[in-house]
Amino acid sequence: MDVLTISLWVITGTAFIISLMKNKQQTLNSMKIARGMMKNMIGDIIAILFLIGLILTFIPPETIKGVLGQSNLFLSTVVSALVGSVTLIPAFVAFPLVGSFVDVGASIVPAVAFLTTLTMVGVVTFPLEKQEFGLKFAATRNILSFVFAVLIALTMGVVM
Amino acid sequence: MNIMKFVKTNKLLSGVFIAYIFLFMTMPDKAVLSVKNSMYYIIEMLEIMPVIFVLTSIVEVWVPKEVILKGFGDKSGIKGNVLSFVLGSVSAGPIYAAFPVCKMLLKKGASIMNIVIILSAWAVIKVPMLANEAKFLGVKFMSIRWMLTVVSIFVMAYIVSVIVKKESIPIDKELKIEEINGIDIREQYCIGCGLCKKLLPDYFEIFNKKAKLKNTEIKNQEIGEFKRIIEKCPAKAISFK
Repeated sequence: MDVLTISLWVITGTAFIISLMKNKQQTLNSMKIARGMMKNMIGDIIAILFLIGLILTFIPPETIKGVLGQSNLFLSTVVSALVGSVTLIPAFVAFPLVGSFVDVGASIVPAVAFLTTLTMVGVVTFPLEKQEFGLKFAATRNILSFVFAVLIALTMGVVM
Repeated sequence: MNIMKFVKTNKLLSGVFIAYIFLFMTMPDKAVLSVKNSMYYIIEMLEIMPVIFVLTSIVEVWVPKEVILKGFGDKSGIKGNVLSFVLGSVSAGPIYAAFPVCKMLLKKGASIMNIVIILSAWAVIKVPMLANEAKFLGVKFMSIRWMLTVVSIFVMAYIVSVIVKKESIPIDKELKIEEINGIDIREQYCIGCGLCKKLLPDYFEIFNKKAKLKNTEIKNQEIGEFKRIIEKCPAKAISFK
């Protein structure tokens, strides 16, 4: 384990013990709810982790570097943002997936675009959002989120 | 039959599983290599998963969400914006789980700007997820993306509040007691926590992990009880109709 993981364990462990001392019943109750949420995601998590292996075996790193690397950055960023908008996987497993791409040489710019639209733009949940908040609200929010995701990604490319 | 159901609820997993079986039969060396390639990420995931699980649980305990929700309507300006941001960040679940909560806040008088802040923060800012992001993409990556996202959320919320007026958002009006005909449960939002069943076991039951009405006839003297449940439901999935 690296330093980061160890410190996360220490911080979380301490917070957990304090939480148990503060309110044992409530802590255990919300752990039950969190367990339910995890159960719903576990299938996707295992699937994505094994999918990473397939991708790394069959798509050569040069191809990933070529498509998602520094060349044609703007296009790959917009496409990644589009893919993120229509995908519905837990953000939770998106990090190892994106991490594996970056590890073999993909640029972080499309990576950021994908991660941001994945959670903020919801094409699949758009009908639901429209029904609850009206077309104008849902359309404006999703379009703006898309634009800002691309802007955040391009800025990250400059800063990092 | 059970297998069919499993495949239906775990499409991605089933697909990957079939791909691996096929691969083991045709190109076993490639299959072994794929498992090896995955192994690193599986181990990393196992290291971080307990942290995410515990963090998700205790954030709910530490932050008095009900207090935030209660004092929401009359808060505005910067204070309201910050409150919205906190509310969105500490809540668990996908973005659509935020829809009913936001709907309720709109009814209570929350501004469009604050609703957009809640929705966006709910979607992207999560303490357990930040830990996960730092693990797989580095602390620097995570913190810069976090800062840029926070700024974007506030700018975006402002723009939406200029373009969209509150009148364009459909809001069902508060029903008078004599207009109430029954209870509506919106299944797509129900998280199956069982709180309603615990409070009114005569009326609610949990079936297939979703709350169901056992008894559709509600008595007038019990409306107060139902009101309490509607307030308490963590997913805000219950309403009068």
